[in-house]
Amino acid sequence: MLRRYLLSLSLLAVLVLLYLQISTPLSLSQQLAQALAPSDDSLENLTFSLAVLPRLLMALLVGAAMGLSGSLLQQLTQNRLVSPMTIGVSSGAWVGLLCLSAVAPTLVTSHGEWAALCGAVLAVGVVLLIAGRDGIAGLPMVLAGMAMNLLLGAVAAAILLIDHQQSRGVSVWGAGDLGQIDWYFVSWLWPKLAVGALLIMFAPRPLALLQLGSRAAQARGLNLWPVLLGLFLSALWLSAVSITAVGLIGFIGLIAPNLARLLGARTPRDELLYSSLVGMLVLLGSDILALLLTNFLGDLVPTGATAALIGAPALLWLLRRKLAAKDLRSLSLMGTSTRGLAVRLRWTLPLMVCLTLLLSLCVNRSLDGWLLEWPSSLVWSLRWPRVLTAVAAGSGLAVAGLLLQRLLRNPLASPDILGITAGAALAVMLILLVAGNNLFWLKAPLAAFSGSMIVLGLLLVLGRRHDYAPGVMVLVGIALGALLNTGLQFCLVKASGDSLALLGWLAGSTYRVSAGQSVGLAVGVALLSVLSLSFQRALTLISMDEGTARSRGLEVRRVRLVLLVLAALLCALVTSLLGPVAFVGLLAPHMAALFGARRVVAQLWLAAVLGGLLMLIADWLGRTMIFPLQVPVGIVASVLCGLYFVYLLVRQRWL
Amino acid sequence: MKRLRAVWLGCLLMLCPLLATAVESPRVVALSWEMVEHLLKLGITPVAVAEAPDYRTWVVHPELPDSVPDAGSRNEPNMDLLAQLKPDLILITPLLEDIRPQLQRIAPVVVYGDFTQAQNNRLLQRRNFLDLAWRLGRVEVAQQQLAAMDAHIAGLRRSIAERFAGQPPKVTVVRFASPTAVFIMGPNSMPEHAMQLLGLQPAYPTPASRWGSVQVPVTELGQIKQGVVLYIEPFAQRERLFSTRLWQRMPFVEEGRVAAIRSTWTHGGIFCVENLAVAIAQAMQF
Repeated sequence: MLRRYLLSLSLLAVLVLLYLQISTPLSLSQQLAQALAPSDDSLENLTFSLAVLPRLLMALLVGAAMGLSGSLLQQLTQNRLVSPMTIGVSSGAWVGLLCLSAVAPTLVTSHGEWAALCGAVLAVGVVLLIAGRDGIAGLPMVLAGMAMNLLLGAVAAAILLIDHQQSRGVSVWGAGDLGQIDWYFVSWLWPKLAVGALLIMFAPRPLALLQLGSRAAQARGLNLWPVLLGLFLSALWLSAVSITAVGLIGFIGLIAPNLARLLGARTPRDELLYSSLVGMLVLLGSDILALLLTNFLGDLVPTGATAALIGAPALLWLLRRKLAAKDLRSLSLMGTSTRGLAVRLRWTLPLMVCLTLLLSLCVNRSLDGWLLEWPSSLVWSLRWPRVLTAVAAGSGLAVAGLLLQRLLRNPLASPDILGITAGAALAVMLILLVAGNNLFWLKAPLAAFSGSMIVLGLLLVLGRRHDYAPGVMVLVGIALGALLNTGLQFCLVKASGDSLALLGWLAGSTYRVSAGQSVGLAVGVALLSVLSLSFQRALTLISMDEGTARSRGLEVRRVRLVLLVLAALLCALVTSLLGPVAFVGLLAPHMAALFGARRVVAQLWLAAVLGGLLMLIADWLGRTMIFPLQVPVGIVASVLCGLYFVYLLVRQRWL
Repeated sequence: MKRLRAVWLGCLLMLCPLLATAVESPRVVALSWEMVEHLLKLGITPVAVAEAPDYRTWVVHPELPDSVPDAGSRNEPNMDLLAQLKPDLILITPLLEDIRPQLQRIAPVVVYGDFTQAQNNRLLQRRNFLDLAWRLGRVEVAQQQLAAMDAHIAGLRRSIAERFAGQPPKVTVVRFASPTAVFIMGPNSMPEHAMQLLGLQPAYPTPASRWGSVQVPVTELGQIKQGVVLYIEPFAQRERLFSTRLWQRMPFVEEGRVAAIRSTWTHGGIFCVENLAVAIAQAMQF
């Protein structure tokens, strides 16, 4: 153990020297002199003591805080996948800050940290509500965090699209830039992190008891809950203040504790202490990479971007080996209605569809107010491709979601949670960064299609090894989603026209879809849906359980592969035209089940209709809400369905 | 295919002067801010402008009357609204090239190139302006405006040369992104074009890029050993940066060679060069 610490410390020393070598022209002895007795006589000296040293200290402080916070959270929840990033702390803070900058831009500089803190606490609060006491230790916690990240991502995109001019100031912050110009933030941050030292001293005892199980602890006369709550809040505090000081830097809190355990940290105190050390190492390494890239490209590369570059693959690698898929528990969602498909629905559903179609086509806004008229041939020719695209996309996502949920026996499986949409979006972003935005309308669909197919391949390879355990599948989604988020922040920092085009595409817009494309999409979705209907028997059997399916002579592996490919094709088709749309594919099958459609065929067509309907409503809202500006249908649908979904989950758990 | 395109182009060419003579004040929609500027300079008030409120806060000059409605965002202008307005002509940039077929159902569409790395952005906008004037039958007005601008900038150049006795300092134009990050305006950006016309040399060489600027850490500004640094307003977090010792010890700050440029748009049409030149000349009253 001592050897491990000594080795890590000497590695840290090497990294510190490397960092100093890169960031200042001063020689080592000059650096030492300047550090011991700061002098103002040259700009190099001053830069060293006011920019280089604070940045180094910042990297170490934040790295340690993130590592400690992650380790504490993981030990508290006894869940290796929990971290500030995965349970919504980071995205909550980011949205909190964006909201403040949209409402009162002047307050961001002075009181930004409180907005970030409120956002983080609220987001985590909801995640905890969803996961419930039993879910904290397992996949439900991570899934709830993932859903929260998706929802908050959509909210952030909406704010940025509507209000991008004012939000520019926070975009550098959002990307996680460690740059310093004096000791202000270091001296702001370290007293707030002092609680960390107390944690290392006093937390190990309750944590050790927790490992024995809370019953055992109670038997020894210790009521753990108040202590645990206090520890949990201090972990949130550590990461929220770090995020406020340097912005969104993900992965450190997730990677550090896992690495620490991998390298042999066992006791609670050892884990806390060593995770902080590993956190420092990883963040300083990322910062060195960021500096090198900045020097090489001549354009600022924020540390958040390089941390994600290191973190995402590391996460996949770490988890590849230890996920024996032991945790199959997942979030259970509302019990289905017991009476079968409600008879009422046969009358009300077609009526609702007709009414919504009429609303979407005939009710419109103009500069003088609301318009109620049958669309002229010109307006009609402009509008029907959009409406058709929205409906077809909604249906396609619903069917894909249903297939995935049945196949993986996981009520939270959907294209967005599994990272298929994130993969598509990442590919588009890469194309944009590498090749610029000329011919964007042509490149984006191609890139999106190859992106989702690559993710599917990854899922299949990883999945086969673990027998398609839900845990592995979802982790790929988490890693890709986080990578996508960081990439997005990175693009936004550039604040150029390119990033606006990207933001528009990421929002899931039907604006640019041509008539031919929309018809193509509709036909494709219809074909694939019918094709998946022909597998209804297999779907029914697989969704019961594997043994039953095998005993009825089903070739489970082959059928599952075929159906997964079908689902991925549907996602790729929709995403390549629209960009990522979250939650529709997740929600529509559940709504169908809520209405009492339990058999595969009934659930499939009902989900498809409902998905289309949701998108139709979202499209109309997006067009009319803030006329003449428009909110892309994807964002409206994601926020609406996401909120409803979170509500359903919370209600399910508590009411 | 080629022939088809030729026929199509011929139709368009025939249409445009016709349009200009037939209608006294044509109903034009501008979906990018460069064209708004150009239209206003030609004495034509557009019937709708994309992101009109933002134009009024960011571009400011030439002034856009409050009566002109917002046409939606520059990425996704509102088609329904455009159809309701029944314009005679729609002006776009390559950003909207892919929805051109849809727009064409509403009115004839003309595309004007925007910022690129490859060609001189100032000359490009000048050509765009003249072409627009020709289409709308206002070439004379356009030439007067351009001549006035050239004379104005030449006058500014002379007064700068006089003030610094023919030896004006080198100039670096920046825009702060945050207290720790800064955009430096480089080759082919409109501020650099304005500097060239004023006879000013850049002090911090940067590589050419599409939007004409690179983002670097603020400490990088310490590399600027000579000349003046001008930062474009607004910079909300000014106090946070300017109160630090590091900033105060920057060579150009110590010697008082730093000044603010009043809020000016840097990615506009040809007249944004004039605005920038005026603002730069104003800022250089040391």
